[in-house]
Amino acid sequence: MTYVVGENCINCKYGDCVEVCPVDCFYEGENFIVINPDECIDCDLCRPVCPAKAIFSEDDLPDNQEDFIEINEELAQEWPNVTSSPTSLADAAKWDGVADKLKLLIR
Amino acid sequence: MTITNTYEPSAKSQAFLDSVENAKYDRQVVTGLKKFIQGKVPEDMKGFYSAAEIAELVALKDTDRDVESRMPVKMTRHYFELAKNSQPIQVLVKASPKETFDLDGASDPGKQMDYSPIEGLIHKYELGLIYVASTCSAHCRFCYREELIAKKDVARPDGTMAPKGLAQIPDLVSYIKQHNAEVAEGGGRHPITGREKLREILMSGGDPMVLGNKNIAAWFSALAETGIESIRIGTKELAFFPDRFDDSFFDMLDKFHATYPETKLRFMVHFNHPDEFLQKDASGNYIDHPEGGLTWVPSTQKAIHALGSRNWLNIDNQAPLIKGINNDPDALRIMQRELKRNRVENHYFFCGRDIVGHKAFNLPIEDAWNILNESQKGLSGVEAHARLSITHYKGKTEVVAVTNDPMPGVAGSENGVVIMKLLRGAADAPLRGKVAIMGRNPEAIWFSGYDDRVIYDEAGLFAPAVDHSALKLAEVG
Repeated sequence: MTYVVGENCINCKYGDCVEVCPVDCFYEGENFIVINPDECIDCDLCRPVCPAKAIFSEDDLPDNQEDFIEINEELAQEWPNVTSSPTSLADAAKWDGVADKLKLLIR
Repeated sequence: MTITNTYEPSAKSQAFLDSVENAKYDRQVVTGLKKFIQGKVPEDMKGFYSAAEIAELVALKDTDRDVESRMPVKMTRHYFELAKNSQPIQVLVKASPKETFDLDGASDPGKQMDYSPIEGLIHKYELGLIYVASTCSAHCRFCYREELIAKKDVARPDGTMAPKGLAQIPDLVSYIKQHNAEVAEGGGRHPITGREKLREILMSGGDPMVLGNKNIAAWFSALAETGIESIRIGTKELAFFPDRFDDSFFDMLDKFHATYPETKLRFMVHFNHPDEFLQKDASGNYIDHPEGGLTWVPSTQKAIHALGSRNWLNIDNQAPLIKGINNDPDALRIMQRELKRNRVENHYFFCGRDIVGHKAFNLPIEDAWNILNESQKGLSGVEAHARLSITHYKGKTEVVAVTNDPMPGVAGSENGVVIMKLLRGAADAPLRGKVAIMGRNPEAIWFSGYDDRVIYDEAGLFAPAVDHSALKLAEVG
């Protein structure tokens, strides 16, 4: 099992998750952060700290975000490992809760 | 990053924290039964659950007897390697339908929510216990914190239902400061609970050693700065993944000690059976070390020696006695002897609590006492320190003795008696040392098995539970 970063992270990318991760399994893109499913130890420290509530345990992922399991797995292989919190994107608050952000994901 | 907490480390703390580095670990954790069911585990793990075992477990999925909902399934590669040659280790880590035959049990064993003034803290005895992780590298099937690990809803004193949450540094720091200020104002004793200042915190969960060095260091320094004198770390990682105790971890420990030399550490380890740390030959026998004692698994030995060589920390072992794992006096004798020789004190053995599913795991209390007693015949005094403990709502209780012959003139003692003694109590433990004496019940696996045969009860173990809400401190804002 693993945790998965879902759609609401896109264009918000608050980054609180990175700071609390005990195994540094976050990988950073331009407007999204992903979890490496092979490195995640299911400690549940990231899920409650995300201001956008974008992180889910794999079993609790909403049905319409199932695609994000593969997206996290794929992008974790391509993106650089991030171990301290990046600055959140300037208009994070504006994008928090906006629907259908997947098409805005910068790979 | 958004500001999510108001605790600011001091300059001294920050300098220590800045010096700590995390490392990456290769635990090769296998989580859940799904991969076994789908045959997607490494080749050498494929036979770990037989086809028949898998079929039985699959049949329970989506029913109220699903084993994974009661207690998640998890294992590390290291522990699998030990399990291959050990029936006790398999019983410890392999899911089994027996776990859910009988779901009788308390949803919050020991009614711990009564002693939880802030989220993630249990302040029952003189020390405080904090949850810092809600998972471990591998899961013991008999875990008595299954309600935390499985994130089950638990009833809170105000009537709401929610899973137990983890402790947060700022809230805990505020709680400790407030508590100790109230103690100081009370002339050295808390006005409501009568406790002295809070001096010791036990980091628990789950297993604190799943966290990285930086997270652990953050807790250590925050607690040290708040005046905590002793920090316990409760962990089974020495059995599940001893390589966690690597150079980067000891680097952090040593730097912590250099920064806060008066904040001592106590590692509470949880070896259940010597198969978790002793090597075995092809016939399954332990191997004599040419220079004395028995030969340890190399990675475990390395970790234990590195811990033990630091004379400013203590290591103690405690473990429950569980059917099929360690109800074996010879194995327990070997374990107690080898642990003591390697700087690990034998602290407690436990009777299982009344968790959901406890009937699959718990030994009759009287059997547990006899097994431990047998195991300690042949141990020298310093090797035989461990007492048999069972945790009552009121506190840890020692099972002191089980007798077999009638006591003339004592009604109810026709088959002998069981003597229990309260060892630890809530708040300032006014009842510590008080005993309860009951008539024998060889089938009793919990206190309830003695309800109808109490001979003498000055400890109040069999009286109605006391409402401790008056002991709770005001909510920390």
